[in-house]
Formats: sequence, structure tokens, C-alpha cells
Amino acid sequence: MAATSLRPNPSGHSQQELRRMRRRALLALRYVILLVLALLFLFPIAWSFINSIKLPSEALAVPPTYLPSEISLKNYEELTTYGKIGIAQHVYNSTVVALITVLGSIVLSTLGGYGFARFNFPGKNVLFVMVLSTLMIPFQSILIPLFVMIVQVDLHDTLFGLALVYITFQLPFGIFLMRNSFLAVPQEIEESALLDGCSSISILYRLMLRLVLPGIVTVAIYAFINSWNEFLAALIFMSDQDKFTLPVFLTTVRYGIWGDVNWGALQAGVIVSIIPSLAIFLALQRYYMDGLMGGAVKN
Amino acid sequence: MNLSWTQRRKLTGLLFVMPTVAFVTVFFIIPLIMTVYMSFHDWPLFGERAYTGLENYQELSKDRQYLKSLDFTFRYTALVTPPIFILGFILASLVRHNIPYIGIFRTIFFLPVVIGLGVSSLLWTWMLDDRIGIFNKILLDFHLVPKAQLFLGRPNTAMNVIILSVVWKTVGFTMILLLAGLQAIPDELYESAEVDGAGYFRKLFYITLPLMRRTIALALILSVIGSVLSFDQFYIMTRGGPRNSTISIVFWIFNNSFTYFKMGYGAAMSIVLLAILVALTGLQLYVLREKE
Amino acid sequence: MTSRKLILLVLAIVLVLGSLPASAQDEEINMTMWVRSIPFQTQALVDEWNASNDSQIELTVIPSAEFVTKMGAAIAAGEPPDIASIDLIYTPAFAAAGQLVDITDFVKELPYADTLTPAHMALGMYEGRNYAVPTGVDGSFIVYNIDLFEQAGLDPDNPPTTWDEMLDAMRAIDALGDEVYGYWFSMNCAGCNAFTFLPFIWASGGDVLSDDYAEATITSDPIVRDALAFYNTIWEEGLVPEGASIDNGSNFVSAFTGGNIGMAGMGNFAIPLFTNDHPDLNFDVFHIPGKEGGAASFGGGDVIAIASGSQHVEEAWRFIEWTMSDEAQIEIYAANGQIPVRLELVNNPYFEGDERQMTAASALAVGFTPYTTVYNDLFNDPNGPWLEMLQVAILDGDIDGAIELGQERFTQIMEG
Repeated sequence: MAATSLRPNPSGHSQQELRRMRRRALLALRYVILLVLALLFLFPIAWSFINSIKLPSEALAVPPTYLPSEISLKNYEELTTYGKIGIAQHVYNSTVVALITVLGSIVLSTLGGYGFARFNFPGKNVLFVMVLSTLMIPFQSILIPLFVMIVQVDLHDTLFGLALVYITFQLPFGIFLMRNSFLAVPQEIEESALLDGCSSISILYRLMLRLVLPGIVTVAIYAFINSWNEFLAALIFMSDQDKFTLPVFLTTVRYGIWGDVNWGALQAGVIVSIIPSLAIFLALQRYYMDGLMGGAVKN
Repeated sequence: MNLSWTQRRKLTGLLFVMPTVAFVTVFFIIPLIMTVYMSFHDWPLFGERAYTGLENYQELSKDRQYLKSLDFTFRYTALVTPPIFILGFILASLVRHNIPYIGIFRTIFFLPVVIGLGVSSLLWTWMLDDRIGIFNKILLDFHLVPKAQLFLGRPNTAMNVIILSVVWKTVGFTMILLLAGLQAIPDELYESAEVDGAGYFRKLFYITLPLMRRTIALALILSVIGSVLSFDQFYIMTRGGPRNSTISIVFWIFNNSFTYFKMGYGAAMSIVLLAILVALTGLQLYVLREKE
Repeated sequence: MTSRKLILLVLAIVLVLGSLPASAQDEEINMTMWVRSIPFQTQALVDEWNASNDSQIELTVIPSAEFVTKMGAAIAAGEPPDIASIDLIYTPAFAAAGQLVDITDFVKELPYADTLTPAHMALGMYEGRNYAVPTGVDGSFIVYNIDLFEQAGLDPDNPPTTWDEMLDAMRAIDALGDEVYGYWFSMNCAGCNAFTFLPFIWASGGDVLSDDYAEATITSDPIVRDALAFYNTIWEEGLVPEGASIDNGSNFVSAFTGGNIGMAGMGNFAIPLFTNDHPDLNFDVFHIPGKEGGAASFGGGDVIAIASGSQHVEEAWRFIEWTMSDEAQIEIYAANGQIPVRLELVNNPYFEGDERQMTAASALAVGFTPYTTVYNDLFNDPNGPWLEMLQVAILDGDIDGAIELGQERFTQIMEG
């Protein structure tokens, strides 16, 4: 098709053809730029992956090699005994914290979002503003008393304690999003059920949950990715090495007893810690973007 | 006791929001009040604590490293924001129209956002290493540098390479926000401008940017707040060095509270940080309200 | 989870008490012990103890850089280990905070108390009471590569005794080739340089802290300036590899094993590694000299202490006492190349004939350790004033700016 329209015309190009050619050239240029940028963006992850499947000795080579001379899963094997207890425990820790955070965020945001969207009660606005104000004050500035409190109630060094903190910081976003989700459901659907004598909780459970499911998925993805990746709070609240989450584990085992770094295993660890959030993002991308846009629209 | 239907509704509503309110109170409101309280105390991690009034705050003005950290954090914010915005805008413009496969490119540019900053910092530390890093390998192979560069070991280059890594990690986020703003502009506006013979830059300055003001302000504030609060990249990539030139405010709070065990002092610094952030948020509200 | 464990524990205790006549011997004692990740023979000690005793010790290795933070957090959480092997410089801070058990009465009973390494005993004291005894002693000195000395025409039997002689030796070795360097320092490692650079100042009769540790003497003592200038010359003349300027300690030991480094500051702990893992490395050691001669060493290493709140003070002490016994000191310490904590045991069958071990051990006789509760904040913290001062002076060459900055930040920290 392109060939025919681009074939030189003895009588010269028509105005239209010229414009079309220009547009095609621009489009091609756009793709070239996009492709180059995409390669640059993918490079760090790809490079990390390539090194994780080199032989451990090759991963340590100075200067580095571009491509593995031999493909090996040795680095991943080494990870299982890496650090004090191996990576499995840390994957488990991160997973437990993330799952508690996801579950807690879903339950609290759904209940709260429903309450704020559909009910009138004294102090509602004040409470709503109070919850949302958490958005303005980042947790970095209240970490010190949080640490003191967590220690006092003996939740220090527990995965549950860390998850509680994470849930709190997911709440404003979750409440906001779920409230909007509930508001978007037509009032009539609920009213007919109310007339049938259903209780509020059973309406929520039987009827509404299905309708606000996309919102719930969005809350869940954010809760998962944020808690999976969080570093500072995990660094402070966990002192027992057995309880370290993945990101903290990866930074602390960077230095062995002689200060040597097992670069190959570290890259394998990086890949292992990237995979879950990447997979969830790729599978549920639409919901993630909706959350982002929802947040943008709100403001 | 029989409650009327409305009363029951009120009670139910309160019950629904109670767990959330309880969480926010315990893990947010109380710590917030405690931060203020602690900032008036000499509060070591263990051992006796004592009321010291405003001493912690007076100390702040004499703390050379604290002032340096404030300066560094703002300088970092000022330097990292423009590249994020310019590249974010370019990317958003590139992926704006629904041409074939554009979804794949959007996803690729956004991918680094879902990787943790901690992990991405580790990744970049390794790529920037003078001996084992890929950057030096490429630069040396192409004879672009005479010898391996100590990117993270020199004050002038450390900031630049950290910015590079953060731009990679976060620009996708800004891209998506700006994309939303771009797509909200009706195509007809551009078409009629083209009819009037407007070129790219005329359209940019007379249509795109003015109509995207709110989106830009939002993305800007989010990005600025994120930069003011940064910690992971400095803790992992340079450990605050070289010459303590990359210690951010949050880093210095962390050090004082959890390494020097001066939690009261750390709390006082947190209050200052809080004031800065409240001011930034206030600015955000002001900028966004103006238009409506 | 913790509360359930507690309930189970209480139940278990009630059951045991109810069914058996209470007997301390029958009750199994489980103790916890923490050590930082430093290659002393702690694991061997614990294994040997567990094999031959009813009470059992569970050893946890904490990354060195995090030891103070973790220990602080554990104490704050009320869950410290029973026994802790602590970097000796932190002992005053922990003792001052009331976190260690007073063991003065136990120490009095030791027949060999006087021969325990003095620097460690001094650091284990607080207000006249003992809180810790030595468990791993480690003095600093200079290692040098005999082969490179010979190639450069230097006499390996007469190593340098002043700074100028050191510089001359470095220049001669550096001239051997592009990849050969006269010296190594890890200039992004705070602790490494407290260990190996401070003694240059001490050996010249200077110090960065006043005798009573009440104030910093960085600007007032001219020796500090001279020592910084000495190291600055090494850097400026390229007598160290460029990578040394950013090394955070990960190459502190390994750099010298490459065989292309003439001299480097080192500690006793590295000698077994060199002899075992690098048999081809032809090295010897000499004391860290002063500007015009003299010698000094940083008395480093670990002391062992019992944390306040331990339920097993008597048993913990029984373990500690055993670690200092002839049996443990000779068959576990010396046999593995580690210096005994009792000076009279340095003459032991394992060390006889090894000049290097004897010289290294004798460094402890000139060993010195600063006594301050803010040691970590001053010297060891990667963001502390010590490292910043060194980097500004040595790498940037701004010596005046560096000592002024150092003096100001030292003073601020010491005034608390």
C-alpha cells in the first residue's frame, strides 16, 4: 500500500499525497523515537536479568561481560542460602505483610467508603476530612512516635505490626476511592433492597460488593505494590534479621563478612523482588491506571 | 429501646466508618500529637527522658549538618523536578494518540514506577559501580572516558547519577498524569488552531499548557513532595556521602533518631519537615482553587 | 503471637513446677548471644560450650554496621540478648545507659584479671565498676608486601619508622608499574580509618580529643593537621588506587591480598585470613609510626557483657569465664590464629616461631582506645564528622576547612 502511494508520479505529487507522505514519515519517526526510549527504559531490568543468569563467577567479572557465556540458575540457587537464612523466609515475610495489608485495606476501605457514601451521621464531614488529611502528612514525619508505640505494645519485630502501619497509610486513598465507587452506584438499586427488609450489612455483602469490585481491585493492587516495595518503615520496625522484608534484606546482605558483594545473587534477588509487583501490574494494569486517574480527577 | 429508622441508619453509618476512624486515630492522630510532645523532650531510645522545652529547636539552628541537609534537599528537588517534567511531557506527547501498539509503550515507560525505589536504587548502584558497572564498561569500550568513573564517589557526579536513576524510576508516573490532562483537551481546539496556521510551539503555549494548568500543578506538587521526602536512594546509593553531601532531611531525621538515639531531637526536625509539607500542600490548594 | 507464646510458656512452667520437685539443675537454660559480624572465634566458642554443657547458647550474628542500632532497638523493646559481644568502643555508652550487668564482683575473683588486655578492661569500666571483659582483641598495625619491597630496592627487614620513610617507600613501590600502588586506605569507611589513621596521630604525641575526653583538640593540636597533610600527599601523588577513595571498607582487607599494594593499615584479625587463604602472599607487619618515630596502635575488638534483664546472669558469667580459660584461649583462640585476651598467653605453642603474630600481638602493648560515650557518633558513623573531615582534607585537599568543620561538629556532638 505504502509502495503504491509513494511511487514517483511523473506528473509530480499531488498536494494530498505529499501531506500523507509527511504524516507517514512523522509516524515512522515517532515509532523510532518510541522504540529507542522503550529500549532505554527496559535496559536496567533486562541487564539485571541477564546478569542474574550468568554463572556466579562471571557475574563478578571485572570488567563485566555483555552476554553470559553460559546460562545458569546458580545465582538463584545461591539465594536460597543467601544471608543468614536464605531468601525464602524473606519472600514469605514480604508476602505475609503484603497480604495482611491488602486484606486490611480492602475491609476497612470498603466498610468506611460505604459508610461515608451512603449514610448520614453526626460528625461525618469532620471524620471524612480527618481521614483524608492523612494524605497531606506523610508517614515519614511521624515515624518516631510510631516506632515508640509499636515497641510499647510489643508489635515491634512482628510482620503484623508492620502491616498495621501500612494499612493506615493505604486508608485515605482507599476510603476516597471506595466512597466514589459507592457513590457511582445508582441509589435505586439499594433502595429496593432496603424496602425488602435487608440489613445494611447484607446489602453491602450481597449486592454492592459486586458493583464496586473494580474499586476493590484497585485498592488491593495499590496496597500490595506499596507494601511490597516499602523500605524506610520496614528498616526501622524490623530489627530481627529473620523478619526482614525483601527490600531491607537485599540492602543489608550487600556486605558479607569480608565486605564482599555477591553481585550475581544480588541481581537474582532484585529480579525475584521485582516479579510479583510487575506481574500484578501487568495483569491488572487497567485498575491501577484507573486508581491513578481517579486520584488525579479528585484533585 | 426502639430506635427509629433514621436513628438506626445513623448508628449503622457510624459503625461502618468506626474501624477506619480508629485506625487513623491510633496510627496517625496520636503519633502526630506525640511528635509534638516528644519534640519538647530529651528522649533517648533507651534510658531516662527529660523535658527540655524548646532546646531541641534551638539546637536545630546550630546543627551544621541539618542546615546542609535542608539545603541539599531543596537543591535536589529543584534539580530533579525539571527533567522529570520535561521528559514526562515528551513521553506523554509521544504516547498520546491511540496509534497501533501504543499501549505497549505506555506500559514500558510506566514499568519502573511499580518497582520499589529501594530495589531500583540497588540496581543503579550496581550499574554505576566503577569496576563491575555496565556504564563504565560501555564508556570505556567506546573510549568516551580515559578511565573508570567513580560516579557515586564524587560530589558533583553523585547528584547527577542519582537524579538519572530517579527520573527513570518516576517519570512514568508524571507521564500518566500529564497524559490524562492532554487527553482531556478536545482535538477540535488544535484543528481550528491549525486552520489558523499555528505551529507546534504556538499550540503548546496557547492551548496545551494553559489548559493543563491544573494537571501540571497537581503533578508538580506530588513530585515536589516526593522529592522533599526522599530517603531510599541516598541511604542505599551513597549512604549520604561523599563528604556527607547527599544527606536528605528524612535521612538526617533517621540518623538522629535511630543511630544517635536522639528521638526528641528527631521529632523536632519532623515538626519542621511537617511545616514545610503543610506549606507545600497549602500552596497546592491555593493554585488549584484559583481556577474554579 | 508473642502473647500466645507467653501463655504457653506460663502453662509450661506451671506444669513443670506442679509435677516435679523444683530443681535448678534439671531446668534447661537457654541463653541468647549476639555478636557483630567480625571474624573472631565466637561461633567455635559457642559450639564447644554447647557440646559440653547443659545450658545452651543461641548465637546471632548482626551485621557490624547495624549492631548499635539493633542492640538499641532490642533494649528499647525489652528483649536484649543475655550475652553480647560488643565492639569495645560502645561499652561506655551501653554501660552509662544502665543496660549492662555490673560484673565487678565476678571480675575480682579472676586470678588473671591483671593480665587481661588493659585497653579492653578500661573500656569495660564505667564509674569505677566493671561491665565487660575482653573477648576479641585486635590491634592495628601496617602490613607490607615483602616481594614489592624487594623489587623496589627497599630493605624488607628494616621497614619504615617515620612518615617520610613511609612516603619514600610508597613512591618507590608505586614506580614499579601502573597497576602497582604504594599504599591502600578505605577512605569511605569511617571505622577503618579510626582504626588505622588515628594511631599515626597518637604515635606522634597528638590526639583529636583532650586527655579527659571533654573536648575536641582538632584545631588546637598541630599534629592532627600534619597527619591529614601526610595522607593528603599520599592521595595527591596517586600512591593509592583511585577506587580507595570510595571504598566503604569492603576492600579494607582484600585490597592487600591482590599483591599489588605495598602497604596498608590492618588488624590482627586479618592475619589468619592472609596465611590460610593467601599462602603466596609474602608479607610482614610493622607498628604504625609517628611523624618522627614512635609507635601506636588502636586497641580494637570486642568485649563481652551480660545485658540487664537477663534471667541467667550466673550461667552467662560461667560461659564468659570459660571463654577466658587456658583451654579456650589456647585451643580455640591461638589455635585459630586469634590473639588471646590474656597477655601472658601470647607465648603459646601456636604462635611460637611466627614473628608476624608476635609483632602484631605486641602492638597491643602500645594499644590505645578513646573512651567516650559518643564514640559511634564521632568516629564510626558513616555520616559522622570524622569521615567527613578526612575526606575533605585528604581527598579535596582543604585541610583548613576540614579541621574547622571537624572541630565544630565534634564539639556539637560532645556537648550533646
